Formats: sequence, structure tokens, C-alpha cells
Amino acid sequence: MKLLTKTSLNFISASVLFFLVGSIVMYFSVRNIIAEDLKNRLLQQQNEFIYTAQQNKVTDLISELVFVQATENKLLYSFSDTVLIVNEKYMLYRKLAFSYSQNEQDYKVSILLSQSESDMLIMKIAIMNVGFAMLFFLIMFFVNRHSIKSALSVFYSTIRKLEDFEVSQSETLSLDTAEIEEVKKLNQVFEKMSAQIRQDFISQKEYTENVSHELQTPLAIISSKADELMQADNLSKVQMEQLALLLETTNRLSKINQALIFLTKIDNRFYTEGSTFAINDLLKEKLEMFSELIASKNIDVKLDVLETTHVYMDKYLADTMLMNLIKNALLHNEQDGEVSIKLANNTLSISNSGKPLTFPEADIFKRFIRSDHNKKSLGIGLSVVKSICELYGFEINYQFNNKHIFNVNFDVL
Amino acid sequence: MLKKHNILVVEDELELAKSTLSFLSENGFLPFHAQDLKSASKLLKQENFTAVLLDLGLPDGDGMSLIKEIKNTKKEIGLIIVSAKDALEKKVEGLELGADDYLTKPFFFPELNARLKSVIRRLNLEANQEVMLNEITLFPEEMRTLIHGKELELTAKEFGLLLYFVSNQNRVISKTTLGEFMSSNYADYGFTDDVVYTHIKNLKKKLSSSGAADYIKNVYGVGYKFTVA
Repeated sequence: MKLLTKTSLNFISASVLFFLVGSIVMYFSVRNIIAEDLKNRLLQQQNEFIYTAQQNKVTDLISELVFVQATENKLLYSFSDTVLIVNEKYMLYRKLAFSYSQNEQDYKVSILLSQSESDMLIMKIAIMNVGFAMLFFLIMFFVNRHSIKSALSVFYSTIRKLEDFEVSQSETLSLDTAEIEEVKKLNQVFEKMSAQIRQDFISQKEYTENVSHELQTPLAIISSKADELMQADNLSKVQMEQLALLLETTNRLSKINQALIFLTKIDNRFYTEGSTFAINDLLKEKLEMFSELIASKNIDVKLDVLETTHVYMDKYLADTMLMNLIKNALLHNEQDGEVSIKLANNTLSISNSGKPLTFPEADIFKRFIRSDHNKKSLGIGLSVVKSICELYGFEINYQFNNKHIFNVNFDVL
Repeated sequence: MLKKHNILVVEDELELAKSTLSFLSENGFLPFHAQDLKSASKLLKQENFTAVLLDLGLPDGDGMSLIKEIKNTKKEIGLIIVSAKDALEKKVEGLELGADDYLTKPFFFPELNARLKSVIRRLNLEANQEVMLNEITLFPEEMRTLIHGKELELTAKEFGLLLYFVSNQNRVISKTTLGEFMSSNYADYGFTDDVVYTHIKNLKKKLSSSGAADYIKNVYGVGYKFTVA
């Protein structure tokens, strides 16, 4: 619910409640006042009647609204409502009945006063009340709405700018200056926070670059020295093999280092730019690059591209993702094995024959997890694929059903 | 006697520079060393270089500035960036500025050698483009191979492999080095030894059937050596 809707709703419901209660209270108090007034007027007429009756005969005082009847009851005194039919209309009257004695005879005197005028009055007051209240609420509603809107305009612009904020872009977050103290404070906090985040991002970026540089250079020295040594003529076979192993291990170390730095970069969103392109051709192109590996293992590769599939990705990451998936399917395969690659329903499915995993299925995308069958693998390739998928919101899953099956769904979650 | 190519090695790591210099001189180059940007630009003014191997992270600044300087001399100088920074942006930036190649540390000497020779070949467009060794003649631009003057059909990978061996004669080249070369630094975690083995086996077969000498020797458990007497 929007802030404006929420405050408006609060305002309306409070107003309606207040208006209802107020109206009821007002209705009853106006009625009371009018009833009191009628009573006073009746009592005044009673006094006038008694005064006039001292000089006149009671029965002569009978008029349209004064009734006199003989009665036995000496102690009559009551107020009541009564209805008379006047000109074929029902009219509501207030009646005061009291006893009056004249010449040893008791009379019941009833004085009537019309209530229809006061009813009209109540009605008019009620209508005016409702009208004014409505008008008042309407004006208040719009004034309130407008003032909240204008007061929060900076707040809304802050939200828009925060939505567009990208830590890897160089421009700093600059928010509008606000009049309202709270929004001003909020903007200050956001600006400070974003500057801090960007600073952290930059130092992390520098750190990964430095780590790479600091580690790769000594590795370069080791491998160059090992290569130099290897050229000597007087080495034994064992020494040569040890040097070769040294070269291989150094190379492996360097690859692990590079892969970890790459993973850190993906996880820290260094690659945020991209473009939309059809992945079909890229898939074929990448598959082509493995033709030697495919030939050397005599693997039967089936490629089923059922439809053009467009993805939004960084080209380099798309390359890496496909290379790693294909390589995984080939390396963890057996001689004369099979690989089937299918592109349909916005999903890339790669399945390959091969021995079952020697570790739990759930661990397949974890770093440094590798099968006992292939100790030379670094165990990073699939982690990289997973990280890339997570970056773009693609879903990737693995299952084993006599063969290893990977599915990447390109629907952005 | 061929004139030796002057090569400038700009590298601040002394040990790495030492190895590189001795490797280059063993392979018939005349290497010079500069530890920083300042001495590099001084040397550039004094000597005529065929190529420069440039490290990017130098004590007195980013090597990128030297690329512009080299390009401003108007001389045809081959330029290979050698950097520990694998950052893609750096690679692209360097190549856009006019570098001819980019090597990521750690690199293998045979790889450096092959790339250096390739850069030098491309610079001398007027001169002979072919690479000759006894009965073998290679045309790198067209990827053609002649053995005893007769055409030999090789796949792109086999041709690359043969050129690589010819560029690195009489040198033990480990399986790791070859694997990295064959995957052309692409498949991040290297090609398998099997693939390397298969290719070399095929290449040897083709060479011997066309009457070439058996140059490629297997160094057991280590790698291969292209032996020329």
C-alpha cells in the first residue's frame, strides 16, 4: 500500500467515524433542546390558561388546541405525544394534560403544541450538518493529500534514485535537498552509505587485482626457473619428472588463483553490463572448440537446437558458462560416451554419460568438489557456472538418471 | 649470420627478468632490460628495438603510458604486454592502444618465444614470410606446409603445433606447457594430456609419411623435444 493511500484511508476512516458519532450526539442534543423548549412553552401556556380561567368559565377557554373535559381525577399532570388529524394529515403534537378545579368541578385540561415545526428544524439542522461536514472533509482530504505529496516528493525521488543506483558505476549518488528534517536526514544517511559501499567495492576490486598480481608474479618466477632448469643436459629422469611436476603444479595453482578471482568478481557483480543475443550460434561455436577433445574420446555429440533462444548476458560470461558446461560434459565422460545438448523452451539441457558421482548430488556446484574419477579437475568450473546463473537469475539444476543432466532455464526469475 | 633482433624487456621483478633475458639470448635474440618506465623510455631513444615485452604494473606507473610512447616513435616495434592482471578490460585497452599481443603471467617461455617470433614475422611483411627448417617450409599466414617441396595437409591445430615446435627447437617442452598452448589460453583449466598426445601422434605420423625426419622426440614422463642436429 502506498504511503499516500494509507494516510488518506486513515484520514477518511477517522473522519467518517468522528462524523457518525458527532451526528448522533448532535441529533440527540438538538432533540433534547427542542423538547425542553416545547415543555417550557407548554408550561407557559398552562400559566396563561390558569390566569385566564380565574375570570372566565373554563369551558369557554376551549379552542383548537385546548381541550377541557370534566374528570374525577384531581391529580392529573402529564406530558405526552399525540397525533391529530388536521386537514386529513397526521400531525404530531406535544400534549400537556393537567387537572383544574372550578366551582367544585374538576376538569382535565389538555394543551397541545405542534411538533412539526421543530421536526422541520431538526431536519434542516441535520441536512446542513451533513452538507458542511462533507464539504469540510472533502477540502481537508485534498489539502492533506496535496501537502503529503509535496512534502514527500523528495522522498519519492530518493526511492527512484536508489533503485537506479549501481555500485559498479562511477557516478555518485546525489539526492535532492529536502525541506523536511526527516527526509533530509534519510538522504544524508543514504548518501553516506552509498559512498561507503562504493568505497568498499573499489577497494575490493583493487584487492582482487592486487592478489592476482602478487600471486601470479611469484608463480611466473617459479615456472620460468623450472622451465630453465629442465633444459639442462645433465639431469636424471627422476629430476626431469620432478621439474615437470613442478611446472604442472605451478600452472594448476595459477589456474586456481585465476578461477577464484574470477568467481569473486562474478559474486561481487563486476560484470553488470550485457546485451541481448541469441545463444544458439554461440553454443555451436563453443562446441566447435572442443572438436579435438570430442574426437580423442570418441564421444557422440547430439546437438538439438529447437528454437532461437535470446538471453541477456555479458558476452564473456556467456562464453565461460557454455565452455564450462560443455567441458564438464566431455571431461567427466567415458571413452565412446555420449553428450546430448538441447535448446528448447528457453532451457539449455546438457546431458552426458559417465560414472555416478562419488559425492552427494547437492554438492555438485560447490567449490573444490570433484569426483574421485577425475582428480586433475580443479572443481571450480561448475561453481563458476552456478555463480553466473545466480547473477542473471537463471535457474540451474542437476540430476542423475543413468546419465548426468544439467538444465539451465533462461527465464529470469 | 642473421642480424640479431633487439628486444626490450620491461619488467620490475628482477628474477623473472633474469630468466627472461637468458632465455631470449639462448634463442638468438639480443635482450635489453629496463626496470621501470623511466629507464625504458631512455633505452627506447638510444636503441632500435624490434619488439618490447612490457609488464603493466611498474614501480613508477602504469605500463599503458609506454604503449603510447612506443606508438609515437613511428617506428615499427612489436609490442607484447606481459601482465599478471588478467582483467579483461586491461587486455582490451592494451590491444586497442596498439599492443600486438597479450600474455598473462605466469607464462611459459616456449609460448613467449612463439608469440614473439610471430609478432616479428608480422612486422616484416615485405621480407620472407616462410619459416624454413631443413626439409620443412611453413607459411604461417596461409597455414601451408611443404615437406621436400611437397604439400602436406595439416589441421589448424597440427600446423600450430608444428610452428610452435619449430620456434622452440632443441628445448624440452613439458606436457603442461603444450596443453596450455593447445588450449590457446582459452579453456581455463587446460586440455587433457590425452588430447596433446593424440595431436602429437597424428602430427608425427603425417610428418614421417611425407618423408620428414623424426624431429619430435618424446621425453618420457615430462613432455617433448623438437630436436634439430
